[in-house]
Amino acid sequence: MLKRLFNFFRTLTGRLVLFAVSGSALALVIGGVILSAAFHDSLIEDIDRRLERQIDILVGISQVGLDGNLSFIRPITDEQFTQPYSGFYWQVSVEGSDAMRSRSLWDYELTPDLSHRDFMIDFTELAGPDGQILRVAEIDAILPEDDQDRVFRYMVAIDMAPVKAASARYDRLLALALGIIMFVVAVGMIAQVFYGLMPLKNLRSSLGRVIEGRSRYIEGEWPEDLEPVADDINILIEKNEKLVDRARTHVGNLAHALKTPLAVIQNEVSGDTSKRGEAIVQNTRIIRDHVDHHLKRARISGAMGGPGVDVKDRLAKLVKAVSTMYAAKNIDFELLCPDGLRFAGEHEDFDEIMGNLIENAGKWTESKVHVRVVTVRKQRKSMIEITVDDDGPGVPAEDRATIFKRGKRLDERVPGTGLGLAIVRDITDMYDGSAKLDASEFGGLSAIITLPVKLQN
Amino acid sequence: MRVLIVEDDENLANQIATSLGDVGYAVDRASDGEDGHFLGDTEPYDAVILDLGLPVMDGASILRRWRRDGKTMPVLILTARDSWTDKVEGLDAGADDYLTKPFIMEELLARLRALIRRSAGQASAEISVGPVMLDTRNGRVSVDGRSIKLTAQEFKLLSYLMHHEGKVVSRTELTEHIYDQDFDRDSNTIEVFVNRIRKKLDVQIIETVRGLGYRLEWSA
Repeated sequence: MLKRLFNFFRTLTGRLVLFAVSGSALALVIGGVILSAAFHDSLIEDIDRRLERQIDILVGISQVGLDGNLSFIRPITDEQFTQPYSGFYWQVSVEGSDAMRSRSLWDYELTPDLSHRDFMIDFTELAGPDGQILRVAEIDAILPEDDQDRVFRYMVAIDMAPVKAASARYDRLLALALGIIMFVVAVGMIAQVFYGLMPLKNLRSSLGRVIEGRSRYIEGEWPEDLEPVADDINILIEKNEKLVDRARTHVGNLAHALKTPLAVIQNEVSGDTSKRGEAIVQNTRIIRDHVDHHLKRARISGAMGGPGVDVKDRLAKLVKAVSTMYAAKNIDFELLCPDGLRFAGEHEDFDEIMGNLIENAGKWTESKVHVRVVTVRKQRKSMIEITVDDDGPGVPAEDRATIFKRGKRLDERVPGTGLGLAIVRDITDMYDGSAKLDASEFGGLSAIITLPVKLQN
Repeated sequence: MRVLIVEDDENLANQIATSLGDVGYAVDRASDGEDGHFLGDTEPYDAVILDLGLPVMDGASILRRWRRDGKTMPVLILTARDSWTDKVEGLDAGADDYLTKPFIMEELLARLRALIRRSAGQASAEISVGPVMLDTRNGRVSVDGRSIKLTAQEFKLLSYLMHHEGKVVSRTELTEHIYDQDFDRDSNTIEVFVNRIRKKLDVQIIETVRGLGYRLEWSA
């Protein structure tokens, strides 16, 4: 699983998804942190303004009486300052006397550092009653009517718990909102990556069809920036095709050019029973087999992209050709084939398979050769099944599997190089088809091959 | 029996011609498509051995022209092209058989014999007329089982007549079918051959049809 994930992130799609999603996630996290900090700061600032205002009021209503004691010119009636541990507190401390405290402080006294004087307002955080953390505004003041010029430390404090709760709630809401945004953005980005890369995927499957031989060229509509690539691939395919064609033609020419002199050599030494003569006969046969094998192999196309082959029409021509070649035997040929059925391949390949099988049947039959064609389903694919039956001597069951091997001939008396059935298997393999032999209902051999159907548009 | 070989490879053409000559065929040769077509068009042949890849005009085109012009002599295609698509095309053009190179001479001879027999309506390799029996495979002739020795020319003449049993065959036709093109033909020698054959067979089987030619027939 982990390996698959790792492999996914090595793909183009994986890389784009990874960088797009992680990039936007990072941006959202940074944004979230900044927003959270700004909100927190504004909350604190707001509290500080309130504390400052409160401390100004406290200083403003303070007076020193004739007895030298500090008092307020009006009572502080705000309930917040009377309810014990309400979270709102004030305290005025002066060196040498007890501090004046709001009733809300109850039994708790704030502990200012009186050794250090500051006549500018200062904000700090201190421990408060009941485990509270307090935001405290402090200022030192000398009251005008005080003959002793004592320095009073004014303190107004507020419990931070509600503020922190508000801040945490805000952070939670922010995280939820950013999470939703992140999800929407990520889905959008993944969709964008997949949509953006879709033409590449299509190009790949189109190339796959070419490789499988189901299509000759890359086909389809491509975005402007991908079209030159598709065109270049097609040019490459065409070049390759020409190259293969040329190589095939060369092999063909070479093979054909060798065959006539081979025939001459073979006939020249025919009947020569000397050791030398026999060696020449044997070796010309080996050369002939090699030439035949490579020529036939080179001719196999295996291409499935063309218009296909009309099975009935082609079989009729092949049956006619074989019946002409074996006219002396007066064979009863029967061809049963549905109309319009097409083989997904090249007619040269089809001719090679069926020509060999029908000729084989014609060669061995006593009187009749039946060629029957049906369509079958194999591995969820439509296949053409062609059966060629004859009433000849047949092939023993134990020899049927080996007869498709190159150079295998069960009867040396009948002319032939033994390549026919080997090439049948080679070609059917190229088309993901099959070739097998069985006993025929007529007593002879039954050759059954399957080939892919060309589906009509 | 007169056979035309259309083959551009001189060595191979020589070999085939020699082998055919050895078994009693009169042989003409053409080394390109145009000559081959001309000869097949103008001379009466009992069979043609035709290559497909030929200079000037290819074998399949020659064959199509002959068939279009009503030439019915049996044609055996002898070619290096061994694909089934080529075979179908060649046989479709009107060939009667198709043999690929390299080949064994005996097989070529056997197929040629079969073609000639078939075109003469003979199913068997042994042709019998009355007590006379001619084996096309080995060139042996016998009367009532007694072997008869014939010269090459005598055999060719008897073979042609036996392939056309019951038909009146003119001296000209005989000359055309037992001599090749380059032979100094003299139709009077036919008369000499016929008389010699009659003597050797010692059965009344060849009848002279006055002013027309000869007819081989058995009337017991």
